[in-house]
Amino acid sequence: MKTCTVVTVCGSGVVTSSMIALKIKEQLRDKGWDATMYEASPVSLNSVIAGKNIDVIVCASPVTEDVGIPKVKGMGMVTGMGEEKVINQIIEVLEEKYK
Amino acid sequence: MEQAIHRELIMTGVDAKDYEDAIRQVGQLFLKNGYVKDTYIDAVVEREKVFATGLELEGISIAMPHTDIIHVNKPGVTVAKLAHPVEFEHMGEPGRKVQAEMLFMMAITNPEDQIGTIMKVLGVFQNTEALAAFKAAENEDELYEAAAKYIG
Repeated sequence: MKTCTVVTVCGSGVVTSSMIALKIKEQLRDKGWDATMYEASPVSLNSVIAGKNIDVIVCASPVTEDVGIPKVKGMGMVTGMGEEKVINQIIEVLEEKYK
Repeated sequence: MEQAIHRELIMTGVDAKDYEDAIRQVGQLFLKNGYVKDTYIDAVVEREKVFATGLELEGISIAMPHTDIIHVNKPGVTVAKLAHPVEFEHMGEPGRKVQAEMLFMMAITNPEDQIGTIMKVLGVFQNTEALAAFKAAENEDELYEAAAKYIG
């Protein structure tokens, strides 16, 4: 199993980011990626990523700041419409980084 | 797993003039039953302005207002139906509006402890049968029955 590190972001860094983190972790595992998950709000994002090798940021709230890590829109994980697309975009970023 | 749905947190016919009014009315359920501190409702309103929580789901639009854990005493979920739809901004898409018919307001004290509750609420957002049951509920007893069945 390949390993990766993912941050999920929502407004409070509590509810929505936890919701989608668990689903992303499960679905990445099905695709052969063992993900370490962190949760953040746009405000705490910089301190959460500091000192960690974060591969991708999945946003349930808009993150306008460029922190130098690829971002994927994660709303599809909340509504259930477009989940596959979110996971595929995450994997695209991972495969590009670890090719 | 701890029960998330409580009869005292169920409400129907919420006659709100806008999203702030809807949050304040539904938030009273938490406040009067001791789930949240008196700072909670203002904090949810402020947070909704910055990070909206409207969601367009299959056949129904809803909102799930919530805020930081420091404003919460004990965990719970309100399930409320509005008398008429109220405009919320869509989560994750600034400028996009949704006409919310229901509010799932969340009081969370520890996301790790309450991940089961959080995932059950997410589960109903993606469960068309549950959403249809909520939509069909005509009074608080029916809504409570549906919420208890699908969220627990």
